[in-house]
Amino acid sequence: MDGITPDQARAALDAAGQARRQMAREVGLPRGYWWGMACGWLVLGVLGDLGPGWLVAAATLAFGAGHATLASRLLGGRHRTGGVQLSADVAGRRTPLVVIGMLVALVGVTVVAAIALDADGAGHPGSWSALLVAAVIGFGGPELLRVLRRWVRA
Amino acid sequence: MSTARFDELIHPSTRLTLVATLAAADWAEFAFLKDRLGLSDSALSKQLATLEEAGYVSTERRLEGSRRKVRARLTAAGRAAFDGHIAALRDIVAGATAPGEPGV
Repeated sequence: MDGITPDQARAALDAAGQARRQMAREVGLPRGYWWGMACGWLVLGVLGDLGPGWLVAAATLAFGAGHATLASRLLGGRHRTGGVQLSADVAGRRTPLVVIGMLVALVGVTVVAAIALDADGAGHPGSWSALLVAAVIGFGGPELLRVLRRWVRA
Repeated sequence: MSTARFDELIHPSTRLTLVATLAAADWAEFAFLKDRLGLSDSALSKQLATLEEAGYVSTERRLEGSRRKVRARLTAAGRAAFDGHIAALRDIVAGATAPGEPGV
């Protein structure tokens, strides 16, 4: 067909596939999103140690609602930069599930760390465990998401 | 399923990468494409103009603040041509890997 050898066709397919994969790497959430979440995490941890129960419950609800609103706009992963909007097909439908799974796991880590710190006699275990997880989210959120997406091929 | 149709216009490597990039996006800005493909302004303009002339790409100029930005997207015809071209390339490769079968 048109004098194209199978090797040339294979190379062209590889180039097209590479372009698509590079675009798929654009999926992600802005760094500010992760730092915002880290701050919220820390506030909830501190409130858990120092605040009254009603305030903790209200703050948790506010955090959940705020996150859900922001996430619904961003979790499609199609707005990492202003320079491109990925097609829904490339952005994938599993990325929001990966983020939700990641958050659930981080809540688990926060609780386990708080229990361990409490058992060790540390003061304000909720704050310290929240600080630990907030640092992970703030500094490594995008990288964590990238690795998890690769694992589940999202 | 798209009909396999080798497309001479899309096949050159730079243009294929450009079309594959656009096929993965709803739209992409000129600066993004230029950076992604490592092309100069004039080279990218030329490629986009060729594709636009063929009806495969549409571009729109938008004023953002004081800056004028160019946004490109693949048209339905461009997407069909790209899908057909990829299908044709797959047929060529499949024809080579299955020697007992007739080639395309």
